[in-house]
Amino acid sequence: MFRKKIKYFIAFILLLLAGQSFAQDTTSNMLYQKQLDRLYLKRPFSEVVAGFKNSVKVKWNKAFVNFANNETYLFAGMNLSKQTITSQNYQSAFNYKLDIINKNVFNPGYFGGVRIDGKYKEKYPYSFSFALNKYATGTNYKNGKSIEPYIGTFSNFKAEQQMLILSFAAHYKYNMVLGDTSKRKLYFVAGPSLDFRFSNQSLDNRVNNLYKAIFVKADLGIEFDNQSYYTLFLHYKQGVHSITKSPIKDYIGSFELGMLIKASDLF
Amino acid sequence: MKRYLYGLWVVSTSLLIFSCSKDTAGAETALAQQFIQDKTWYLDYSIVSSASGEKTKSYVGQSTYFINFLSNGSTKDSDGISGSYTIEKTNNQLQIHVQAKTSAANSVAFIYNLETVGAQNLVLFYQTNNQLTKLYYSAK
Repeated sequence: MFRKKIKYFIAFILLLLAGQSFAQDTTSNMLYQKQLDRLYLKRPFSEVVAGFKNSVKVKWNKAFVNFANNETYLFAGMNLSKQTITSQNYQSAFNYKLDIINKNVFNPGYFGGVRIDGKYKEKYPYSFSFALNKYATGTNYKNGKSIEPYIGTFSNFKAEQQMLILSFAAHYKYNMVLGDTSKRKLYFVAGPSLDFRFSNQSLDNRVNNLYKAIFVKADLGIEFDNQSYYTLFLHYKQGVHSITKSPIKDYIGSFELGMLIKASDLF
Repeated sequence: MKRYLYGLWVVSTSLLIFSCSKDTAGAETALAQQFIQDKTWYLDYSIVSSASGEKTKSYVGQSTYFINFLSNGSTKDSDGISGSYTIEKTNNQLQIHVQAKTSAANSVAFIYNLETVGAQNLVLFYQTNNQLTKLYYSAK
């Protein structure tokens, strides 16, 4: 009786295995058929994509042939920023009391991103960085207006105090030779950055769609590389043009204090 | 290949152009509504200017007259006039349109032009018989 049961059990397992292998055969046959189809059928879209990828690769390699010894770094830190605003000729139906909105201080925010450091023609150090910045800016209104007979000074414009910015920056790094450069390096860095405003404008500024979406800034700073373990940096970024539309002139400036570490050391 | 790139350029350019258009008129009335609503506005001053340039300033005083504009669209003033209001933009001018009833149940309708509004200050004006009246309110 027991033997009979074992026979049935073995037969059942064999049947299951056979079924599975049949299923696998069918799947592999289908895959094989698809591969054949891919070989013989015309696929205009994939060919276009492949061609585009190739041409980009060729152009990329041609353009960046002199950018060598690239290392990827991750960085993060805090920023202190302020907007300086002149809005004398701007008119709107809304008033903001300067006693309340004028905060002439550098307010703290934060940022994080990725940076690629290398040497141009294996001689000139450079860096390209991509960062997300969260600004909480202070605001310095240079002028106001009175609404008589009310007491106080008013502005028709209220600056955005919170902004999320995606920033692309390129820096030239000048190695300032101080002491043993095999252990510690101090760089002076300078370069432009291109900022894209990701955050929406507040209702106050949507009224006249006042803020620009793209800003250009100039960046100056110093970087301290401690035996390639980590790098501490302090940059100052100044907007080279107004981040708002005419007639308001709104220039943003920010200090960025942070640390960068090689990605390969972290992962 | 060129056809695809041209198509991509057309699509991205039109996306850029159309994504830039904003509903600024809607934003303007929404912001005015945000400033005005759920506050008690006290009339501080009334200034009447005649066509000849003469001005009559009067200090009304905080407790004499006030008006409420609520977020549910209703309004009520210290004279007992109550009803509904809307904020509209007509001929590039923000206006408060009031449909109300007096305490004696008589229907009244007003249109106030909005000169400026903020978190604490509101200036309305209207013109009758060559006289311009400006009303200066403060929110407390």
